[in-house]
Amino acid sequence: MPISVLIVDDHPSFRASARMLLECEGYEVVGEAVDGAQALAEAARLTPDVVLLDVGLPDLDGFEVTSRLAGNGGPAVVLTSSRECCDYGSLAERSGARGFITKAELSGARLGALLA
Amino acid sequence: MTSLRRALWLLAAAGLVAGAVPLALTFGSDHLEVRALNAVFGPLIGWAFIATGLFAWWRRPENRFGALMTAVGFAWCASGLTVADEPGVFIAGLLLGTLPYGFLVHMLLAFPRGVLEGRLAIAVVALIYFLTTVMQVAWVLVYDTTREDCGCPPNPILLWDQQGVADLITGAQSALGLLVIAGLIVELYRRLHGVSRLQRRGLVPVIFTGVVLAAALALTLVADLTGVSGPVEDAIDIAGLCLLAMVPFAFLAGLLSTRVSRAGAVGDLVTRLADAPERGELRDALAEALGDESLMLAYWLPDSDAYVDARGQPVTLPQTGSSRAVSHVEREGRRVASIVYDATLAEDDPGLVDAVGSAAALALDNERLDAELRARVEELRASRMRVIEVGMEERRGLERNLHDGAQQRLVSLAITLRTARSRLNGNDDGASELLEGAGQELDLAISELRELARGIHPAVLSDRGLPAALESLAARSPVPVEVGAVPPDRLPKPVELAAYYVISEALTNVVRYARATYATVDVVRNDGHVLVEVGDDGVGGADPERGTGLRGLKDRVGALEGSLAVESEPGRGTRVRASIPCG
Repeated sequence: MPISVLIVDDHPSFRASARMLLECEGYEVVGEAVDGAQALAEAARLTPDVVLLDVGLPDLDGFEVTSRLAGNGGPAVVLTSSRECCDYGSLAERSGARGFITKAELSGARLGALLA
Repeated sequence: MTSLRRALWLLAAAGLVAGAVPLALTFGSDHLEVRALNAVFGPLIGWAFIATGLFAWWRRPENRFGALMTAVGFAWCASGLTVADEPGVFIAGLLLGTLPYGFLVHMLLAFPRGVLEGRLAIAVVALIYFLTTVMQVAWVLVYDTTREDCGCPPNPILLWDQQGVADLITGAQSALGLLVIAGLIVELYRRLHGVSRLQRRGLVPVIFTGVVLAAALALTLVADLTGVSGPVEDAIDIAGLCLLAMVPFAFLAGLLSTRVSRAGAVGDLVTRLADAPERGELRDALAEALGDESLMLAYWLPDSDAYVDARGQPVTLPQTGSSRAVSHVEREGRRVASIVYDATLAEDDPGLVDAVGSAAALALDNERLDAELRARVEELRASRMRVIEVGMEERRGLERNLHDGAQQRLVSLAITLRTARSRLNGNDDGASELLEGAGQELDLAISELRELARGIHPAVLSDRGLPAALESLAARSPVPVEVGAVPPDRLPKPVELAAYYVISEALTNVVRYARATYATVDVVRNDGHVLVEVGDDGVGGADPERGTGLRGLKDRVGALEGSLAVESEPGRGTRVRASIPCG
């Protein structure tokens, strides 16, 4: 069974290209969300294996959403941003996310490596 | 002579007679125990009150205070009629016997404005008038004046000879009198704390004498109630009379001390101004000359159509009708400054402050120029601050546009390229390699764009504050950086940004020139300042005057009224310290 993914980002162009790439590389993209509130609702409804979560959301902070999602048996959260991980210091590590992938470097293989 | 003056002279003449009548009667009286005492105090107290009362009346005709004081004097003289042997005159004196105290309490509570203020004052005065009129008349109607074997004439208006009732009324008068005295003391004390310093100076002698007198009267009443007699009672009576005699003089002292002589004030001021006062001393000189510690100066800036203080800060003049009054000072036909002062200053001499202001016009004009310069500097500082803030906002917007626009599109393009490559599956005539090359170029472009955006504005700082931004700086630095204390709360944006740039620039220098093995960063908030320190263990010898980096930092920190210092002896590392004011 393919790994199910929820993509959360407020930029439609990233959601579309990420969906295309991940589906092409064998993932099943089960949903998309445009902000933190929708991400929490959709994650609860769809119970994906992975949430690919943008750090800079319009409503909630990505790290905040991560700590809410990642607790007790929730999905694995992989943070993404067009900025680099070190721009955020140790926030990504401390948030409880499985890992961080810079947007331009997103690929099925990178995602798989973090989930393994 | 005005009609007021004529009336006052007539009253003065009447007062002379009013004091002389009981004095004359004293020598012929055949029922007087302490003749000498009455001969001295009777007219002395009466005349003292009448004379000072008329003086106060003449100086401040609109103030009822003088009239009240005169009334005390006349009532006192009238109460002296009890020494007469003629029953009608004697009983008139007895009926008016306690009225002086009614007027006295009224007067004490009406000082200095001549009106009663507050419910307690009105209640106390109402009670004392009830005691000294209604109850006094009731007592006379039931008191047999011949009973006590004092040789007094008989009571011609005795309605009902009831010694018990008469004693009861006297007791009630004494008890209620104590209540009045208590109320009086409370009210006088309260008044002393509710006035300006200038008024207090005039109030102190009056209130002090009033309170001591009230205490002596209270002792007299207690002696009456407890039936103390003999030398103790006499001593208390004499003490009370002495104090009563002092009251008008205390009021005179109070009235005189609030008066400032115009010639004296101007003379004083001119002497002081000859010593070329420093900034701020001009106000002190005027305050001292006028005897008004609360005096304030406001300088007029015609260009900006506004008032400022000596430091150039904007001030507003008080509303008219308040307890503060304003005198405008002009020089060569243009407004220079305004003097804001305690309104009671002008009561005696409305032209006093204007005269003092004219004498100080040149000095005021000089200080006005000084204040104008300061206001300009302040304005410049504020506008430099605004320029920085606007610049900061613009750069922030630019960074956000890059991030949300071009960067997102390029990122999507990179992902799409990668997708295309993974769909080719090898049968592609080298297209896969081409796509990979394009992808690598694109990644470089994205990474360069990211650096550019970060250089324009540190988004992490504005999004997440200094701790996260410093951690990010430390994480990117090739030289290990130890970030020490950083205030967890957000600082004002310009302060935060200046601190960030100081640290960022200092760390860049560490990497470029210091040959250090590590660097330290500390940010401490202390006493309204943010102190930033970046240190390293490198070669030292940095010169802040060379190179644009540190120079730019000095400007940036200076715009926020902060300071930047670099300590960098050769071989002993470098320390960059910035101190930025922060509300």
